[in-house]
Amino acid sequence: MEFIIGILLLLTFFGLAYYCIKGHNLMIGFLVITIAWTVLSLGGTAVSSADFLASNPVLTDTTLVKMLNAIYQSAPEGWGTTLVNVCWGAWFGRVLMETGIASTLIRKTVELGGDKPMVTIALLNIVTAIIFTAMTGAGPVIAIGVIVLPIMMSLGVPKAIAMFSFMESVAAGIYLNPVNFAQYRAFFIEPSEMEAFTLGWYAGKWGYAAVIISVVVATVLSGIFLKTSKTSHAWAAQTRGAAEQKDAPFYTLFLPIVPVALKIAFDFSVIGGFVIAGFLALFLCGKMKGSFAENCQLVNKLYYDGVVDTAPLVGFLLTLPMFNKVASYASPYFKVVLGPVMPKSELVVCVLFAVLLGLGLFRGPMTLVGCGAATLGVLSNVASFSVPFLYCVFAIPTITVNIGSCITQSWVAWGLAYTKVESKDYLKLSIPCAYIAGILLYVLTMVTMSGMGPEWFI
Amino acid sequence: MTKERFKELMQPIADGLFGKQKPYHMQQGTPPVVRPVGMIVEDLCTISDDEWAKYAFSREPLNGKFTDEQRVELTRKAMACGREYAERVVQEQGVRDPEKLAEKLGMKVDYPRMPQSTDRVLFAEFREPNKIHIYMDGVDKGEVLFAEPGVRHALTAQLDIKKLLLGHELFHWVEEKYRKEIWTRTYRLRLWEVGPVHNDSTVMVLGEIAAMAFTQALNNLRYSPYVMDAYLVYGYSPEAASALYEEMMTFAGRTPRLPEELEPA
Repeated sequence: MEFIIGILLLLTFFGLAYYCIKGHNLMIGFLVITIAWTVLSLGGTAVSSADFLASNPVLTDTTLVKMLNAIYQSAPEGWGTTLVNVCWGAWFGRVLMETGIASTLIRKTVELGGDKPMVTIALLNIVTAIIFTAMTGAGPVIAIGVIVLPIMMSLGVPKAIAMFSFMESVAAGIYLNPVNFAQYRAFFIEPSEMEAFTLGWYAGKWGYAAVIISVVVATVLSGIFLKTSKTSHAWAAQTRGAAEQKDAPFYTLFLPIVPVALKIAFDFSVIGGFVIAGFLALFLCGKMKGSFAENCQLVNKLYYDGVVDTAPLVGFLLTLPMFNKVASYASPYFKVVLGPVMPKSELVVCVLFAVLLGLGLFRGPMTLVGCGAATLGVLSNVASFSVPFLYCVFAIPTITVNIGSCITQSWVAWGLAYTKVESKDYLKLSIPCAYIAGILLYVLTMVTMSGMGPEWFI
Repeated sequence: MTKERFKELMQPIADGLFGKQKPYHMQQGTPPVVRPVGMIVEDLCTISDDEWAKYAFSREPLNGKFTDEQRVELTRKAMACGREYAERVVQEQGVRDPEKLAEKLGMKVDYPRMPQSTDRVLFAEFREPNKIHIYMDGVDKGEVLFAEPGVRHALTAQLDIKKLLLGHELFHWVEEKYRKEIWTRTYRLRLWEVGPVHNDSTVMVLGEIAAMAFTQALNNLRYSPYVMDAYLVYGYSPEAASALYEEMMTFAGRTPRLPEELEPA
């Protein structure tokens, strides 16, 4: 009977993949499948064999109410710690925009490169990646996009290449973003578990190299695409983002990397870093010259705008942990069906994921911000892999494929509307990049994250 | 807090949680006061060539490298360049009408519809070597606005939006053809210098300013085609067009009028 339940679970998984690809609301999708898996997994214990139940104590160890509480209460509560990082990161992003630090960085970069598109693209890619190691959410991406994209297009860079280059650089920076790190880490372990798995450790072992590989691949591919394309000039009215803005003082331009640097160097609190760098930025850029009440209003408004930036993600983020938890109850059934065919060696996992990278598109079964959370639930419960290894294996399709290359990513969708690039034209550029960067990153994962000691396993 | 205000504040969050996934639009500040389109074009048509300099350069990536005086001087030179090449091409080809000129020059012109977003409204595009797209969605919306009070008077019967856009894009072809000698391409700005190593760059906006003067000359208009930036955006968003109007007037050193200041006809 457990085999039939396993098959039913698998069918619902494919149903979820289809639902995600169709672009429906992710929060509701994951809520529905959580309920379906709860019914199948916990209800299935009534009809499963005694041997099966005996060999899977996770299904019988505790009472039904405690299991339900673990899924619907403790799991999302546990993600609260991740969510506050997201909110503060969004606030910091708004501060960098309000103070003009982010836009000044971009303008100064362009003034170095001038009319040489390749030099300017390379410099902009590097600066954009650095900025997005700290900034979070769609608002900051759009705010920087309305500066960067017209600049590239005015240099004669075709709009599809300009957009591709910018979006891939944003994704490259996210590999080192402490907010995203905390967010994805929570898919694998509780925030309090495995203290050694810090951003600093991850960055030194894998993160820096991942950013460099991503930026280099995006830049080199932009150069190749540029060589084979024709220059274009457009008459377009830019209705926002072009207004004159004063340059931020030069000594404030290092502030975007302060939270990340503090986190990596001293494992200092991410939120503490955002608060220190955020208020420094506001004071040094002369934004706190009003009365106390006016300054409070400004800080409050930036927080409000930042939280609104992340609002579309919040419901999804707080439903996912329910799903992650119920996946642990569903895993014994998956093991019965998929156990014999699921990869158990790290090399096979890397090769398989590299081949199937395309399934990270359209919220497919490879991306953690799509139905990849289900794949993780299955994979981590039918075989044993170290947490850092699994983190990297899933981060690649999540960041490079979904966030950087997929048209279902909110800011990519915005970029398509803004630049009037056809979806297919964008995908023609982004999919080769996703595969080339992805394969190189899996090689990196095999070299640096495989064969780890028992302390990295749960 | 009133119930309506609470609902308004919660709306973005509710949309995020329960709405279908959709392109994200950033929250914007207080919306500008919407002006009648007639008032906008009436004021913008009186802005002189020199006064357009700051607005034109505000779209230039290297804008921070120039003083206001340099912006005005370069604008004058770019406009002179655009007019000079307009006369040269007209003389060479024997026609002034942009559509006939495009035909004689062997351009492939098409007129796709393509709906626009209000963040960046695309009017027309030139792609090397000889393709021009005139996006008709904006043109049609602009033509509908001709019926609004004051518009025809300000823009004059001389204006044919399609031909104006086409003329602008034709200049980019001209610029490519004469790239070794045309001033907009030979003018160089030194960006930085370290010993013998330096980086000199062309200034992209000069080509745009010259293209405006080029099409203005072909179409015999007495006002700058930059007026179209606000006028054609009005068809999509009166708010965005009013914001552009405020920006243009402020850059020109003038005070934007409010709707109540409109004199009765």
